[in-house]
Amino acid sequence: MEAELAKRLVGGLGDAGIDFMSYLPESRLSQILPLMRSDPRFRLAPAASETDAVSIAVGATLGGKQSACYMESTGIFVSSYQLVVVALHLRVPVLLLVGHLGGFDDQRNSFLYSLPGRLLLPTLDALHIEHTVVKNGDEIEGDIKTAVRTMNALREPVALVFTGDFTI
Amino acid sequence: MKRYDCLEYLVPLITDHLIVTSQSGQRIEWGHLSKHDGNLLLGEMGAALAVAAGIAAALPHRRVIALESDGSVLLTLSSLATVANLGIDNLSVFVFDNGAYSGTRISEPTATSGRTDLAEVALGAGIERSVTVHDLEAFKRQAKAALGGKGLNFIVCKVEESLLHRDIPRPDVDLQENKYKFVRYIQATEGKLPPFIGRG
Repeated sequence: MEAELAKRLVGGLGDAGIDFMSYLPESRLSQILPLMRSDPRFRLAPAASETDAVSIAVGATLGGKQSACYMESTGIFVSSYQLVVVALHLRVPVLLLVGHLGGFDDQRNSFLYSLPGRLLLPTLDALHIEHTVVKNGDEIEGDIKTAVRTMNALREPVALVFTGDFTI
Repeated sequence: MKRYDCLEYLVPLITDHLIVTSQSGQRIEWGHLSKHDGNLLLGEMGAALAVAAGIAAALPHRRVIALESDGSVLLTLSSLATVANLGIDNLSVFVFDNGAYSGTRISEPTATSGRTDLAEVALGAGIERSVTVHDLEAFKRQAKAALGGKGLNFIVCKVEESLLHRDIPRPDVDLQENKYKFVRYIQATEGKLPPFIGRG
């Protein structure tokens, strides 16, 4: 991901009111982390597993934060249990920022990633988690605001799945 | 030591604490003993500790309590390392360790009945204030200290397996109703609501 795109992504998160993000870092969107760490608008919570990251984001939302949770595509598989029994069952909005490692438009795809990448969107469908695939930064600020508005309206997690230009 | 006696001791010590319970007998016993509006009674195992940590991170001036079980903590051991490194000093975790999956109704043993020591695991994960208590007097000392002041506390409470919770009426508040009650309590005590409330 180009530095300018990372900057716009982080700016869009802040402008949409995101002020807390739990995460397990990955390779496609990781440039956002140092930017967010140096931005006082955000409280970051690193996690050892996406299971923890989802639960922490849910807790932070209940505590009054507008939370995001950043992970790679396989993190959705790892955290499906917490997404179901905590976020969906309690109906708590969390903005899921998912790097689509192994997806169709992953510019660095390989045989290592392609199978889990192919199963990401069907898994989000199976979990009934609303999601949008974002391929470029043309409307990134609007995409983030729309996702935040949607998750607050649904009171459920919503996913932005980043591929294409975000995976360069 | 009985879990019910420990919980009964905690109830009058609760003031403006925020309490998160995992699914297991203590959810039923705590829901029966405490009608505190700051109770969040979760419906499954493997989440209370991390949810409580998220609340603690969001509200660093509030004391948050997680009521956990051995089976629940074992399900998501990564939470210990995550929580140890969050930089929070307002969370007290009580793990009621009966060494069994009581919910199986055949008391299948958990790993703590074997070789696993949860307090040592927490210590190794980086939670420095990690202790095990074996009797009610020791529990009372640790609990009193953990409910006030600052710090990240992890207290493993070795309790006998009890089926008392099966004779107690289950909480009749569902998860979402409980969630709203909880966030309204935060609104009343903090003057703010999560952003997803009030957009009708």
